[in-house]
Amino acid sequence: MKSSRRRGFVLIAMSIAMLLMLAAIGLAFDLGRVYIARNEAQVFTDAAAMAAAAKLDGTAGGIEKARQAVARVPMRWNLGTKEFTGVVVEFSADGANWDQNPRDAGATMARVTAPLNEVEIVFLRAVGGPATFTVPAHAVAVSNPVRLTE
Amino acid sequence: MRREGGHAMLELAISAAVMVSFLAGTFQFGYTFYVYNELVTAIGNGGRYAAMRTYRGGSAEDIEKSKKAIRNMVAYGDAEPAEGAQPAVAHLSPDQVEVAWTMNEAGAPEYVAVSIREFTVDAVFKKFTFSGRPGVEFPFVGKYAPAEHEK
Repeated sequence: MKSSRRRGFVLIAMSIAMLLMLAAIGLAFDLGRVYIARNEAQVFTDAAAMAAAAKLDGTAGGIEKARQAVARVPMRWNLGTKEFTGVVVEFSADGANWDQNPRDAGATMARVTAPLNEVEIVFLRAVGGPATFTVPAHAVAVSNPVRLTE
Repeated sequence: MRREGGHAMLELAISAAVMVSFLAGTFQFGYTFYVYNELVTAIGNGGRYAAMRTYRGGSAEDIEKSKKAIRNMVAYGDAEPAEGAQPAVAHLSPDQVEVAWTMNEAGAPEYVAVSIREFTVDAVFKKFTFSGRPGVEFPFVGKYAPAEHEK
């Protein structure tokens, strides 16, 4: 009787220890990847916003060139293995009203958002964490001279 | 009684082996990710600096000086680091940073790419080597001064 009780205790202790261990591994592995993805996304949006702002020249052609410039930024995320998808490029003349297809071509600011960077959670999921964690990033750059403002 | 003691020793040996390997794995991945994140930050800072820095192309020596300043910015967070400055990422040296400009048809720089040539993270239990990453490419938005010389 005493022996079976002890066995039961070991099982419970082991289960708790495993959960704690998974949580510790999850903090190191999953959160580590989340932070990297966030950083990669921020650097990408910085470069993309500057690339877009550099093409703005007050014409509709400049807006189109800005979009193309963002599309050709070669950076990737998830330790440099995944392409950024769903990237949104918006333009503004005053920093308050943003539009992906502005009627007025006189935009002087470009805002790039990378909203869909979903990091797959491996270990934290086992202890009640989410299956994925999205780390969006955005940056704003102005033209003439080109510089980041956000 | 002796049997129970033997079992306990065996259980301890097995569970300790599992625990140690889990902890070692956690450390090596955690530390490697931490260093990689630091590298991304350093490369991002270097990329932004390179994008806005004046391109002085008076001679091959000037271009080399520009590269050196950008490499220093990545490695030390300072284009002209003081003697004995500590690197932004442990064991990162400016020589491990690659800098390259892409020129447009007129011969002026259009983009500048900054990346880690090769960097090994020593996570005690295992070493991870990153070649060519992390890397960034920024549009060149600085002043183009083909005839100027670096100080």
